[in-house]
Amino acid sequence: MREFSSPPGPLPPPTVSEARLLSVLDTAADGIIVIDEHARILIFNKACEKMFGIAAAEAIGQNVKIVMPIEYAREHDEYLGSYIRTGVKKIIGIGREVRGRHADGTIFPLELSVGEAATPDGRQFIGILRDLRPRKESEQRLADLQSELVHLARVSAIDEMGAAIAHELNQPLTALMLYLQAIRRAHAKGVDIVKVVGEILDKAAGEAERAGHIIQRMRQFVEKREPERHVRELDPLIDEAIDLTLLGQRHRIRIDRKQGTNLPPVSVDPVQVQQIVVNLVRNAIEAAAGMTDPAIHIRTRSADGTVVLEVQDNGPGIAPEALPKLFEAFASSKRRGMGLGLAISRTIAQNHGGDLLVDPGGNGKGACFSLVLPAAAAPADVG
Amino acid sequence: MRVHVVEDDAGVSDSLSLILGNVGHKVVAYPDAESLFKAPPPEGRDAVIVDLSLPGIPGAQLVRWLLNLATPPRVMVITGQSQSFIDHQLRGLQPTWLVRKPLDADTITRVLPAE
Ligand SMILES: Nc1ncnc2c1ncn2[C@@H]1O[C@H](COP(=O)(O)OP(=O)(O)OP(=O)(O)O)[C@@H](O)[C@H]1O
Ligand SMILES: [Mg+2]
Repeated sequence: MREFSSPPGPLPPPTVSEARLLSVLDTAADGIIVIDEHARILIFNKACEKMFGIAAAEAIGQNVKIVMPIEYAREHDEYLGSYIRTGVKKIIGIGREVRGRHADGTIFPLELSVGEAATPDGRQFIGILRDLRPRKESEQRLADLQSELVHLARVSAIDEMGAAIAHELNQPLTALMLYLQAIRRAHAKGVDIVKVVGEILDKAAGEAERAGHIIQRMRQFVEKREPERHVRELDPLIDEAIDLTLLGQRHRIRIDRKQGTNLPPVSVDPVQVQQIVVNLVRNAIEAAAGMTDPAIHIRTRSADGTVVLEVQDNGPGIAPEALPKLFEAFASSKRRGMGLGLAISRTIAQNHGGDLLVDPGGNGKGACFSLVLPAAAAPADVG
Repeated sequence: MRVHVVEDDAGVSDSLSLILGNVGHKVVAYPDAESLFKAPPPEGRDAVIVDLSLPGIPGAQLVRWLLNLATPPRVMVITGQSQSFIDHQLRGLQPTWLVRKPLDADTITRVLPAE
């Protein structure tokens, strides 16, 4: 270790050809740092000056640690030393994402690739650095936009179902009103209602609760929230989503529901997964609506390390010409359809490390959509 | 006279029957049009309350059938659906009354007063 902690005396001034090289390096868009075996900075180009807020004149001769966060800095000498001793490469020729430190203390992500050169003055290491912040920002913006879109699609689904949901709310409200008015009237007439009033009030309370549930389910679904992950059983989530979808239906449809046994839990954003179920079930209902006995099969099962949900209808299936664009946004055959349901659903599934697949059916067989989600990791990792 | 209630929502059907019963009407409730068809047809003195959104045979079709009987009963259509849905469903049918949900007891007893 001695040789690294006490480098030899000051560096000699650059020669003429070195000076020419430096001016070329200064035109590079990427940061370039060359260090010697002792981690002393030999070259620090213009892009680096800007990236780290340190003047080249100040940087040259110093240990390269000055551009690293403290926790890297501590280990860097050791890495370099161990590489020189053992030849085991940790970063050379590989390139990876690391973090840099600006003179003002800001820590930021960098892509670093390191090359090695043997020179008459000993080994030198050339680092090429790219500030990853602009890329990270656009990734973040994209993620934000995507979650915005996912939310909007949810609102639009509820909006589509809005009139029907208002209808559904009318049912408990009607019953509630009539129960209460029945008591009110009997009371006004001095009828003895002591025997029945308890029972009627219970029914009224039941109806109020039913109205509350409808509102609650809608609210959970449309409220805008940060995406989250919870380890959950899939089946109860699916059942809730089916209920929500049926709320929005004018015509009844036969639903055949089968739950797999001993399904492993999944790590999901519950509302987003319910959004997929709502989309698939709405599509299935719409597809089967024209049939004499419209019916949907909704099944769950486990298949090597995944949990699968299948939604199969007995509609006409998917036309071969619609298949290539099926999962693209704005691909819709419906007059009022946005064509967002499947695009959003597949995006959500893939964000969860899963996928959304289709068996198009046809020739008398309805379409079958499969949502595949990875089973949650063993409880130890779940936290 | 009797009041027939064709409504698939158990809560609405039960509370409606309670109100009508309290006013003194004889009430027969059916969960769908099919079960009404299995019973003796309503008479001209009867009233039939029909929910527009029924499972199976649509409410509008039942209304059409009732209005075409030789001595048609009075028909009250109840619905929580939008006006465009109602117009589309009824298309020219003229029920005696159309009442939007939520219902209230006063409206019901005004059109179907105590005997
Ligand atoms: N179960 C199905 N059977 C037959 N065709 C289907 C089925 N599901 C989807 N499709 C077809 O795929 C198209 C795209 O579906 P998607 O859910 O993405 O949009 P949409 O239902 O048209 O509109 P929305 O944005 O309201 O969901 C539909 O218009 C329909 O043609
Ligand atoms: Mg859809």
